[in-house]
Amino acid sequence: MYAPFELDIPTTLDGALAALANGGGETVLPIAGGTNLIVDIRAKRERPDRMVGLGEVDELLGMEFGPERISIGGRTTVSDLLRSPEIAHEAPSLIEAARLFGGLMVRNTGTVAGNIASGSPAADLVPPLLTLDAELTLASASATRTLALDDYYLGYKQDARRPDELITRISWPRLPENSANTFYKLARRKGDAITVTGVAVTLSVADGTCSRARIALASVAPVVRRVKEAEAVLEGQALTPALIDEAAEAAASTCTPIDDIRASAGYRRHTVEALTRRLVTQAWDRLA
Amino acid sequence: MTHTDMDPGTLANVQFRQVGKPLTRTDAPGKVTGRTPYAGDYVMPNMLHMRVLRADIASARLVRLDVSKARALTGVACVLTADDLADRTAATDIPGQTGQKRLDTDQPILVRDRVRYFGEPLALIAAETRDIADHAAELIEFELEPIPGVYDTLEALKPGAPLVYGRDNIVAERKIRKGDVEAGFARADLIVENTYRTPFQEHAFLEPEVGLAWVDENDVVNIRVSTQVIEHFRPIADALGVPHNKVRVRGALVGGGFGGKEDLTVEVYLALLAKQTGRPVRLEYSREDSFVGHGKRHPFILTYRTGVTKEGKITALDVNMIADAGAYVFLSPYVILYALVAAPGPYRVDNLNVFAKAVATNNMYTSAFRGFGALQACAAYEQQMDEIANTLSIDRLKLRRRNFLKTGEPMSTGFVPPSAIWTEQCAEKAWAGLGEPTASDGPIRTGRGLACYQQSYGRLTFLHDTSEAWVGVEMDGTVVVRSGVTDIGAGQISALGQIAVEVLGVTLDNVVIYNSDSAVTPLAGTTTATRALYMTGNAAKQAAEGLRARLAERAAQEFGVTPDEIDMAFNEVFVIDRPEKTMPLVDLVRTCAAEGIHRSELAIFRAPFGDFLDPETGQGQAHPDYAYGAHAVEVSVDVETGEVEVLKSVAAHDVGQCINPAAVEGQIQGGAQNGQGYALSEEMLYEEGRLVTPSFSEYLMPTAMDMPNVECIILESRSGVGPFGAKGIGEPAMTAVAPAIANAVADAIGVRVFEMPITPERVVTALQQRDAS
Repeated sequence: MYAPFELDIPTTLDGALAALANGGGETVLPIAGGTNLIVDIRAKRERPDRMVGLGEVDELLGMEFGPERISIGGRTTVSDLLRSPEIAHEAPSLIEAARLFGGLMVRNTGTVAGNIASGSPAADLVPPLLTLDAELTLASASATRTLALDDYYLGYKQDARRPDELITRISWPRLPENSANTFYKLARRKGDAITVTGVAVTLSVADGTCSRARIALASVAPVVRRVKEAEAVLEGQALTPALIDEAAEAAASTCTPIDDIRASAGYRRHTVEALTRRLVTQAWDRLA
Repeated sequence: MTHTDMDPGTLANVQFRQVGKPLTRTDAPGKVTGRTPYAGDYVMPNMLHMRVLRADIASARLVRLDVSKARALTGVACVLTADDLADRTAATDIPGQTGQKRLDTDQPILVRDRVRYFGEPLALIAAETRDIADHAAELIEFELEPIPGVYDTLEALKPGAPLVYGRDNIVAERKIRKGDVEAGFARADLIVENTYRTPFQEHAFLEPEVGLAWVDENDVVNIRVSTQVIEHFRPIADALGVPHNKVRVRGALVGGGFGGKEDLTVEVYLALLAKQTGRPVRLEYSREDSFVGHGKRHPFILTYRTGVTKEGKITALDVNMIADAGAYVFLSPYVILYALVAAPGPYRVDNLNVFAKAVATNNMYTSAFRGFGALQACAAYEQQMDEIANTLSIDRLKLRRRNFLKTGEPMSTGFVPPSAIWTEQCAEKAWAGLGEPTASDGPIRTGRGLACYQQSYGRLTFLHDTSEAWVGVEMDGTVVVRSGVTDIGAGQISALGQIAVEVLGVTLDNVVIYNSDSAVTPLAGTTTATRALYMTGNAAKQAAEGLRARLAERAAQEFGVTPDEIDMAFNEVFVIDRPEKTMPLVDLVRTCAAEGIHRSELAIFRAPFGDFLDPETGQGQAHPDYAYGAHAVEVSVDVETGEVEVLKSVAAHDVGQCINPAAVEGQIQGGAQNGQGYALSEEMLYEEGRLVTPSFSEYLMPTAMDMPNVECIILESRSGVGPFGAKGIGEPAMTAVAPAIANAVADAIGVRVFEMPITPERVVTALQQRDAS
């Protein structure tokens, strides 16, 4: 059922990065929760020669709530998010996404960095993180760099992570006063389902206008992405139903969904428009 | 939540000590603690592991099949192809027990030259490990030359359509011609015609098909297997070409059946390789194997044309049904017979035409699934009732009341069901059980739906069904029950125990039940067709009563009274109203043993034996009896996204007599879930016959987060033909759920989605089409 592979289990971050750096000609993959990777290996979509298990690397754990920024380790599980009152307060959209993420066993094992690195267009944690302006710390044995999550995805299942790099931390600035941060997962059932259309919205209001708008969509393009065309319609404006309609239409017209077994492209576009309108309206009504 | 409602008229004079109580099922402790071995838990020394290689195209000619590299692989014990088999087929018709002559359309055990469905088995592999068997499968080279297939029943009926087999694609046709339909339509004030579509459905039992086979010292092929039907030992023997007494099927507690383990699954493959290798062989399907390894629920297209008066009285009904039988004929001729008989539902329709047809396609073959055609009919007739009510602007419950079949009235086939028909009571209680309506809120609209049903329990009477059970009492007063019945998770064997101890006056902790061994337990027939309690329950009751009569006679002699003055309860034997005349059961049993009085009884229960329905009119007795009930739901629908949430789900069923209310509630809860998935989210998608939803990440059953609390209202008419007046609840629990949901969705949004599952996209499309028109 599984093709054989070597497994390293380092206990330090340096050890993990060193193991990833010494690939030679082999395919070396890091594995944390493995909730996607094991399925892919079983289906022979991935054929690693060697895997680097991250389960013992405690440096990849931990949440920090600084005065300016919030930072979580890459190995933070989806269930860890759900157990954190600070996350619930600071990033309600992330909690909503985590609440509907897979099933309980997947939530207990699957990690935030893994969800990002899997590159799935349906990755549920990514839309909320995009609307929070999240930044990734990418470390390799030779260097550490930071990269905006917005710049991370290059194309369908293609990302900016080099094979010898790990996403060690994910961080984002605290939301300004008077902000709303929401996520809606539309799926074919409530529990343990792949997203048909995911919409995250973060809106901040100052002096009666929308000072900052972030809208990110899942499952309606080759990658999870922000719809900056729609955000631009809203920013700097006192929102009206007409403006919100315009933003919703911009979101629908700039997304590029496909037909698949879960829904048609047309239905996805329709729901992007309806849900963008709904989430922006609810946020504005609450804040303004 | 459970309420039990009893009819005051039948309540008097019935006092049970064990029956009717929510006792802990005898199978519960082992399951809860994990001690219960399922078929997949059995292993043997020197055991081989099997794998089935399957075709990856739905319609093709097998041009080349080369297994030489697989056979040469170290660790491979055996690879079988059709060329290695005698030209035999495996039975697909009428499972188990009956001497009924089979159709001549049985599936070849392995593909010889023609592939008719995606996943049809090409070769069997047995190896030292599963990994080696998997590797061997990769080494088998085969070439399939595609042949144009047909994947839609309406296409398959057109002239010139590709033929799946035979002269045309029609597998079976059945009809009812009753009364004068033309005159009935002439009397109608209104004629309502609609077409409803129902989908494939996967049984999705927790435990995929699994078994272990070995040949014993008597040359008997033993098969330990997860099955609903141990009496498949006969067709297995036929497939092997050995006498029937050379195959022994031993069941185990089954991790779910729902009709999907009613046909043969892994048995013949196991038996062939055990015979061939002389070693024990084990085969366990992966989930993906299971999706292509057993037949599905028949999709139906049902056209209902109903004539009604202004007041809502049905004057005529004309029904046309087309069922997708898939690539081989399994139980399709009987599934459409059930649909035919159920066509008008629990309503009095004197002018009735029904035409039902099963059509071959190159889709996955279809066969038994909880509800067995009658459920598909209910999906249509109950949506049609709401469409009629809306057209006439009559209250939906009122319309149904005007037409309900009443106790003592003839049903579609002219047969008068012998039991009480409590549809109206059930409908009223289910509807009232919804309580206060939930208000709509912006784009979230709420609505309610009701569906009533008629569902048979017990097999077709022309099958001349029988069931046996043995009950004995040990020297210490404990009780043993033996019966071949398989327990597929609903508490079938525990119910037998509860019945036996009720009759013998002992408590449930004093009984052990041995079941499901075709060689040593008395043959009890299939656990299908909502028949296990009815048939084997009656057999166990008869056996226990026979034993009790002998014990009572000896006790009467002891006490100097007549046997009818003796009662037995709580492990004591006593004279009624004479508290001083009592003795422990164990003392009586010892006396009997010392005197050579027979301490056991083997009984056979015979269902009513009948003939086929009249082929022209469809009149006659199809089943022993019918169960009636209703399901009501409240839903909310998001009119922007099309998402449906079931807010309330209320079931009301007349079960005749509960043997164990907790087990009855379990069936009702499961039926509510099974029906909700069928209505809303479960979808088997095929592309040119290839299944593109072959796992639980694509095939979406409702989870705990999708299910509301299901309220169970149990009514007891004590009128059924099962033990103590019981009816059956296995299939009935599911039948009305999906149409109730469909009716609630239509009520919420003012437009009907005529095809299940009612996906969010279909809801949005229906709303857009309405707005456009």
